[in-house]
Amino acid sequence: MKQAERPGLHRWTRDEYERLIDHGFLDEDDPVELLDGLLLVKEPQHSRHRTSVLLVARAVERAFGEGWFVQTQSPISLDDRSEPEPDVCVVRGSPRDYVDAHPTRPALIVEVAQSGLPLARGRKATAYARARVVDYWIVNLIDRVLEVHRQPVRPGPAQRHWGYAAIETLGADGTIAPLAAPSAGVRVADLLP
Amino acid sequence: MADYETRTRRFTRAEYERLIDLGVFQPGEAIELIGGELMVAEPQGAPHYTAIRKTAKALEAAFGPGWEVRTEGPIGLDDESEPEPDVAVVPGAPEDYARAHPSRAALTVEVAESSLALDRVRKGSLYARAGLPDYWVLNLVDRVLEVYRGPVPDSAAPFGWRYARSEVLDASAGVTPLAAPGSSIPVWQLLP
Repeated sequence: MKQAERPGLHRWTRDEYERLIDHGFLDEDDPVELLDGLLLVKEPQHSRHRTSVLLVARAVERAFGEGWFVQTQSPISLDDRSEPEPDVCVVRGSPRDYVDAHPTRPALIVEVAQSGLPLARGRKATAYARARVVDYWIVNLIDRVLEVHRQPVRPGPAQRHWGYAAIETLGADGTIAPLAAPSAGVRVADLLP
Repeated sequence: MADYETRTRRFTRAEYERLIDLGVFQPGEAIELIGGELMVAEPQGAPHYTAIRKTAKALEAAFGPGWEVRTEGPIGLDDESEPEPDVAVVPGAPEDYARAHPSRAALTVEVAESSLALDRVRKGSLYARAGLPDYWVLNLVDRVLEVYRGPVPDSAAPFGWRYARSEVLDASAGVTPLAAPGSSIPVWQLLP
């Protein structure tokens, strides 16, 4: 049964979640992230996954340059019930700007997904779109493609949840420019393990 | 792969009790631990609460001295479960449970409106796994009492067990708890 069909599950607030961490119920090595109030267990880190995360971090660091920094598998404060840890985020400024609070709106989020593909396309895409993250990429390790999600849209008659109106799939020979670094070109081949 | 999303962090009963002691949850939040998952209980409508009180009174009369009728009290069922059944009948007196919650009940009752599916399937399976011999679901939607008995293993059930026998009794029928064989309670006495 999907979580979406389990209305009885307790939903954690971000405050409660941070208290769980403070009291030692969860630590930095716990593979858990808070999304829509659910403590989701993260995809296990296979070496292919980890390799892709490092490749993506290096490629987007180069593409964005000065005035931005890249964080990997670190928390962002998305909303009252979501504190996910995307594989890669590009955030404006420098790490010291966030010494008191996690970043809230990355310019780009990238998830590397294998078994977690339904989650990355489903609940995560919904949460990122709702938070108006304008550029969301999924490195799909199963098909070795990059899925580029843009134009967050609110629920309308056609769909029940927030989502992305423009989804483009790029093969390994493709190139993509991040919305916030339009002059840079990132080769999809450079992101794949 | 399709199952991937269903994986949430599970809590043990020891962790759950520590969370309560630390005051992590909002006061009055109706939470119970079911198979490692924190479940939010059904909101209490007036018919629901009335049914709990009527059932507790009827069971107190039926069981008599030597039994304690608990309403919405925790049961330390197993290492990953601490449900709070709407009504549970346990042996002894209140002070017997001053140090630890009871771990078993002679009779367990859930009053169900919107939670019917949860109470029948998930809780039914959990209670069967714990060997609770007598489980009643007071179904307010159809105004009937569902009586579940005879726990048996069943790999298709959520917790690997289910009740072999179920009986649906309407308001005019009478019911006899397994642990109070000399009594008979009219079902209408339980309904709001």
